Amino acid sequence: MKTIVVEQLKYRYPLTQTLALNELSFEVEEGEFIGIVGKNLAGKSTLCQALIGLVPHFYHGGYGGRVIVDGLEVGKSQVDEISKKVGIVFQNPFTQVTGSKLTVYEEIAFGLENLGVPRAEMIDRIDHALDLLQMLPFKDRAPFDLSGGQMQRMAIASIIAMRPKIIVLDEPTSQLDPQGSEEVFRAIQSLSREGMTVIMAEHKMEKVAQYADRVLLLHEGRLIDFDRPEKVFSRDDLDQYGIAAPVYTEVCKALDAKIAGEPYYPATLDEACKALVMRRE
Amino acid sequence: MSFAYEAGRDILKQLSLEFDHRSTALIGQNGAGKTTLVKLLKGLLRPSTGDIFIRGINTKEVTVAQLSRHVGLVFQNPNDQIFKRTVLDEVMFGPLNLKQDRHAARESAVLALQRVGLADKLEANPHDLGLSEKKLVSIASILAMNTDILILDEPTIAQDFAGKERIKEIIQSLKAEGKLVLTIIHDMDFVAENFERTVVLNQGRVLLDGSTREVFSHKELLRQACLDTPYITQLAERLGIPQTILTAREFIEWQQKNSERRETNAQHM
Amino acid sequence: MSLYVNRHSLVHSVDPITKLYYIGAAIVVPFIAPSFHAAWVCLLLSVSLLLIARVFHRAMPILGFVAFVLATVIVIQSLFHPGNATAWFHIGSIGVYQEGFWYALGICFRATNIVCAFSILVLTTKPSDLVEALVRKGLSPRIGYVLSSVFQIIPQMVATMGTITDAQRSRGMETEGNLLVRIRAFFPLLGPVVLSSLLNTKERALALQVRGFNATGEKTFLHEQQTYQYSAVLQWGLIGVVIIVVIWRILS
Repeated sequence: MKTIVVEQLKYRYPLTQTLALNELSFEVEEGEFIGIVGKNLAGKSTLCQALIGLVPHFYHGGYGGRVIVDGLEVGKSQVDEISKKVGIVFQNPFTQVTGSKLTVYEEIAFGLENLGVPRAEMIDRIDHALDLLQMLPFKDRAPFDLSGGQMQRMAIASIIAMRPKIIVLDEPTSQLDPQGSEEVFRAIQSLSREGMTVIMAEHKMEKVAQYADRVLLLHEGRLIDFDRPEKVFSRDDLDQYGIAAPVYTEVCKALDAKIAGEPYYPATLDEACKALVMRRE
Repeated sequence: MSFAYEAGRDILKQLSLEFDHRSTALIGQNGAGKTTLVKLLKGLLRPSTGDIFIRGINTKEVTVAQLSRHVGLVFQNPNDQIFKRTVLDEVMFGPLNLKQDRHAARESAVLALQRVGLADKLEANPHDLGLSEKKLVSIASILAMNTDILILDEPTIAQDFAGKERIKEIIQSLKAEGKLVLTIIHDMDFVAENFERTVVLNQGRVLLDGSTREVFSHKELLRQACLDTPYITQLAERLGIPQTILTAREFIEWQQKNSERRETNAQHM
Repeated sequence: MSLYVNRHSLVHSVDPITKLYYIGAAIVVPFIAPSFHAAWVCLLLSVSLLLIARVFHRAMPILGFVAFVLATVIVIQSLFHPGNATAWFHIGSIGVYQEGFWYALGICFRATNIVCAFSILVLTTKPSDLVEALVRKGLSPRIGYVLSSVFQIIPQMVATMGTITDAQRSRGMETEGNLLVRIRAFFPLLGPVVLSSLLNTKERALALQVRGFNATGEKTFLHEQQTYQYSAVLQWGLIGVVIIVVIWRILS
């Protein structure tokens, strides 16, 4: 089943001339893990915000085409209606903390209180979200006392508790240290395993290749490619779009080690090992 | 040297380090004390016990502003410093504080902006630039002060491929000039490619200190400090390559040599 | 950032709203009651409540400051109150008068009483409980949010300010020295502080929106509504006292 349908999406920020998103059309199946890649200002964040309706409801400007998430047309719905279907996690963990709650537990409750979720159900959902993000040991801590990685996991838990079918993550680890990033990536992976549709914009191509089912390559607001990671990363023209393939793809390309029976180069550690061992033999 | 924000809770414990001209990466997980160490080197904090000497000057005896002739520090977030209306004025702020006259300050600023590739944006408003370019402005504003020691705090954060390449070039050119580049960084691949020496901090102590290659060969110790080795190093290890590989180029060369060797061996048999 | 002292006491278990009523009464009663005795009786009551809540020592710093200010009032009024007639004694040519002294003492009792009443609220009520109680009473959740976030956002802003100061000092800006140096150092700090708080505010606004901050439906609460005993009795009692005092004033 298609969870996300984007048709001819066009968007221009107020007071600007160029289109930030230009004639985007694509579809995402339920339960897929999608990586969005592209250089800075390619439109990754804008696309994320269009999926959750912040474009056009928070950022105004020129808007055309349609975005449908789980049957709901984003352009014609209220942000709080959309947020029951799709949730978003931003880059900066600090600015996602509401600042009005004293504990992690209360912080996660914030969205549910606003949506009017009954108390008993609220507690169930919070406990589940805390468990999934392995945040139970921190439930009584003050939000601002957490480390970056823990804070970001709390942000994800706050969204998960709202039970969306889709979660959008806009470079969720760009401001975290390696350990924090790893915690967050693992958490995202467990959401994906639970059957959630995950859309993640990310700079670390090795991570994108490791987790994503398909990679969406953006350049100047246009969709350049939308395919399996090894296919996208095997392209010869990636530098034109200001991105570099994972280092695994890079070395396999130089050594001409392809995935067995395919015309593409490996994009993950495991695949690269296989291909290079095969080449040796 | 030790340092504590509150008495009895040392963030840095009995540290003894010397920095020479080698470009040095400072790595460690959050809370290991990297930022604190950098602030101490810059004179923003003073050691609780022990001393720090920068070119023979004890940091306890001078103000931060005086020390800024010798040590430049580029902060993580360029928005924390930018306040002028043009890129040129922003970059001239440092040299003017060092009491250069306007003409000389302008010259230093233009030179610095050329080095970071923003020579065509002198009159632009820095707030109209993207984050990558703002970061370059903040680097230029420290370069213009022409210090012998340059410290960068997470220069690659929020940078895309092109931004990282540009920063790599700047670091290389500073190295060529014989300046000490010291960097706090989480991006291990970037460390492997650019830094001669690596210091690993863990819970306020130096866990490892040596050439980058040597440091990355201590896989177990790094894991204890919750740090990874570069992706390419992991791949080489998985393939059973006996030496520590640091870059894609080294990896490719090793593989090519190895397969040639195997071919010649096969011919001899 | 909160002055709340977590204890179990009779005062702690009183409804935050009732404490607001008490503040109202503590301001009104001593001022309109046509008797000097009302002032010290009220003060005695407030102090007793602080003692019962076992937070009196936490109120001391505030009271100490207030006492300092009020001491000057007593001195000035004893010397210069317009109604001064009966001198107690003279220091040189300056007389110290009874009328001014008693007048000033009345002011002191009333002012201290107000400070104590506020201290009761602040020291024995979690700020979040107060805000939640107000929102349940019909206060707009937006205003509730602003009230409760201020306590946590301000320390964050102070931290940002510290980073910005460090960044400019690192570029050779002197921040220590005479007034002129300090004034000059002000502008390089102001710009980035304003910008970063604007950026943070925008990002936080986005994050709040996607968590249903603008939802129009009925809100629910994580915490069960606390049932406070005798809330109605206490609140009506306080209103009653105020009414009685008003009548007393009119009749006398």
